[in-house]
Amino acid sequence: MHIPDGYLSLEVSLLMSIVSASFLVLCWKKAKATYPKSFASLLAVSSAFVFVAQMINFPITYGTSGHLVGGTFLAVVLGPYAAVLSMTIVLIMQALFFADGGISALGANIFNMAIIGGLSFFLVKFIAGNSVQGKRFTTAVFVASWLSVVLGALACGLEIGVSPVFSQVGGIAVTVPAMLFWHTLIGLAEAAITTAFITQLHRLQPAVLNGLALLKEGAF
Amino acid sequence: MKGYIKALVLILVGFAVMLPLASTYPDGLETVAETLGVGESEPLWRGLMPDYTLPTIENPYLSTLLAGLFGTFLVLALSFALGKALSKTS
Repeated sequence: MHIPDGYLSLEVSLLMSIVSASFLVLCWKKAKATYPKSFASLLAVSSAFVFVAQMINFPITYGTSGHLVGGTFLAVVLGPYAAVLSMTIVLIMQALFFADGGISALGANIFNMAIIGGLSFFLVKFIAGNSVQGKRFTTAVFVASWLSVVLGALACGLEIGVSPVFSQVGGIAVTVPAMLFWHTLIGLAEAAITTAFITQLHRLQPAVLNGLALLKEGAF
Repeated sequence: MKGYIKALVLILVGFAVMLPLASTYPDGLETVAETLGVGESEPLWRGLMPDYTLPTIENPYLSTLLAGLFGTFLVLALSFALGKALSKTS
């Protein structure tokens, strides 16, 4: 879902950069107020996991692949605001060193994956309510991670659809349904992987699930 | 701390094992662009290791593995610094 250079108009690039920068400032402030004790090691290893996981594409169907984005995973492990910041680091490194996602599309990519991904915490919260274990929590993680990819794809479809390169070939009327079609499927894999990892972490190392602890405390 | 090092080792071993199995099909957005006949334009910035390959290493597995390891440690270090900065009381 990483948008390369050349797909977005200058206006969309600028708008998404401003929107994302504003969210990042907010997340920085909120995260700073949320984590009194050091959690640098957990943050580091979680970000590294997401970076690695994003390199492993899995085939979906009809010659198309997808990879884990990891937004909901980070949200449950780190809490929403640190998850946004963690994913932002991954996206900046991908754009700077690996040409994965264009420099000019960084604002849009941060919005589609880091901000929507990290804030999917609130989807988990909305669905899970007070139950932080069992079927309802598992369902919440599954649905939230699926939705985080589908909503990211929707945002991506809109961003490219209103930009000249894609508006010449039909604009959002074609980009949005096409993005949603593929990411409905890719999102299922995202949901399955995220749910599997979170369930195992919950079983083996429940203490690392900071996001879950925040949910339990009703922090946000 | 020991637990985190163990987790990191697991992640890296998993990466080395999974990498050859990774799909090279276009991803969702690339498929959409291809279907609509939109080509990829020249990126404004190619990065040091475009598409996760070290230009100097011919073996594709090794090239991507090393690029991935480089990226992993970069992300690890920066996120650690971010974590330290976040938990610093002002």
